[in-house]
Amino acid sequence: MQYFLSLCATGLVMGVIYALMALGLTLIFSILKVVNFAHGEFYMLGGYASYFLLSTFTGLHPLLAVFISGLIVGAIGLVFELIFLRPIHKGQIERPSEYAVLVTVGLSLFLMNLSLAIAGPIPRRPASFLAGTVQLGTVNISAERLIAGVCSLILLGLLLLIINKTWIGKALRAVSQDKDAASIVGINPLAINTIAFAVGAGLAAIAGALLAPIFSVTPDIGATPSIRSYIIIVLGGMGSIPGSILGAILIGLVESLGTGYFPDPTRALNYKMVYGLVIFAIVLLFRPRGLFGRKET
Amino acid sequence: MTPTFARAPRVRIEWLVISITLVVAIAIPFYLEKVSLYWLHVLIIAYFYAILASSWSLLAGVAGQFSFGHMAFMAIGGYTSGLLGKYFGLPPLLGIPAGTLVAGLTGLAIGVLCLRFKASYLALFTIAFSEILRILIRGEYGITRGDQGLHLEMLFGATTSKLPYYFTMLALLVFSLLFMYWLVNSRVGLFLRAIREDEEAASARGVDVVRYKLMAFVITSMIAGLAGGFFAHYIGILTPNTFVLPQMGLVIAMAIIGGVESLVAAAIGGIIIQVSLEVLRDFDAWRLVIFGALLVITLRFARNGLIAPLLERLFGLGPRAEKRKKESDSHGV
Repeated sequence: MQYFLSLCATGLVMGVIYALMALGLTLIFSILKVVNFAHGEFYMLGGYASYFLLSTFTGLHPLLAVFISGLIVGAIGLVFELIFLRPIHKGQIERPSEYAVLVTVGLSLFLMNLSLAIAGPIPRRPASFLAGTVQLGTVNISAERLIAGVCSLILLGLLLLIINKTWIGKALRAVSQDKDAASIVGINPLAINTIAFAVGAGLAAIAGALLAPIFSVTPDIGATPSIRSYIIIVLGGMGSIPGSILGAILIGLVESLGTGYFPDPTRALNYKMVYGLVIFAIVLLFRPRGLFGRKET
Repeated sequence: MTPTFARAPRVRIEWLVISITLVVAIAIPFYLEKVSLYWLHVLIIAYFYAILASSWSLLAGVAGQFSFGHMAFMAIGGYTSGLLGKYFGLPPLLGIPAGTLVAGLTGLAIGVLCLRFKASYLALFTIAFSEILRILIRGEYGITRGDQGLHLEMLFGATTSKLPYYFTMLALLVFSLLFMYWLVNSRVGLFLRAIREDEEAASARGVDVVRYKLMAFVITSMIAGLAGGFFAHYIGILTPNTFVLPQMGLVIAMAIIGGVESLVAAAIGGIIIQVSLEVLRDFDAWRLVIFGALLVITLRFARNGLIAPLLERLFGLGPRAEKRKKESDSHGV
């Protein structure tokens, strides 16, 4: 029982962090109708940004570095959106959906190799927030993970508040439902696109920076979390915000329990991602629109 | 009658270019074998990437379906043949077809799962499949030898000459290009292009959309598996690192920079990029930064790639030539 509870606690905490990243992807998908295949690279850049900030400015609080990293990577996302994605929505691109896939793949290849060229293949680990473990009732959990989880939870709450309660949130929702109708009532869809992409990139970066002290950063670290986010958004329903949060927590729990109860502990970690792929296949077979997705035409 | 006169020399140029290319491709290994075995090896690998890039461009550029599993299918071809050889003593000549078949069956399963939906599901599923397959092959080192590498029997036994490998890879490239060219110019190719342009319209005109998408996906997966099987028996060792995602990104860059709608342009893109990766070895990691940037810029500003427009001009194909032909037709009348 003890073991089960501690696995659940880890799963929940990781799920909340996954949700942050998946929410960024969902935000981009629901507004721009583009799957961002460079999402993992934004995560990786977040980790590097936090590492280089902390090693340049000693004395900077690690959590402050996390948020500055989010801002830096958000700005990179903003510039990319303006140059390469805005032309899609201005109707300057032939076969826009293909272009969107390929151009984000190109960005991912570019960013990954750029970090390899600049930072090299050595794993970098930014300063930890807090060492040791924390006792929650009867369950022990690593302090780093707990802090990362709590930060993600606060950020998620803040985002949901913004999306549901503010003018800009209303504009975001309006554009995701009907771009033309939104522009009739005076919302500039192009500006909303840019904001959504920058925020989405920033969220991935914050997730990367939060997890960097736990897993270290290398140029190729983005692949696994981005694939996990793709699985989460398909499970939750492409473009659904509650779906991506719930999907993330489910995936977090399944991974944690699946790894914890795998018969051969030495090989358990290899199968961590396999559960996600199986869930992906099951969703495609039985409920292609996911948990909360709008019905596909 | 004027149009036939106007077109006659163009046909001659076409055949001239093709035959010169073939003569050079056949003659060059005999020269390289004396000068530099290393560059002969580079060419063999370049042809291998040309097969991958052109078959990926059949799927993406002609049928409009995006798979990030092309390198994974390549690896399935190689690993199937290698594992069958290691555990059941199957010779490469039987292992390679078996690997091709397994790649095709895997493609069929994934295709049935994903191709009923919009294109993005195939991309999402194959990227997950590819990476997770790599993690599994790496993790199950008891069976696959993991990062230490799976040793394979060489295709041509003990011979140290690279010439037979060169000619087999060249033949593989030429025949797969001929086969795909025939496919693209058949009714199937017409259906695939119709699906790419507008799935619903194609479906309304009676094209069985899922069936033809599936066909294109399985065929290109099998070509990747075949190339992978042969590649594995040439290199003699397979590691999971041969199909990391950046490597898949590189194949995509080859196809796009060459010209994704033209099989030959994609193949030439593959050869040129693979050779320039070797030429630019001093730049180390910066080489891929350059090609990544080139990929994004090509997509944005030269959608047809950098090589396809040259081919069009040379061979008088493509929209501009069609227009010219139409003009000369109307003048003729």
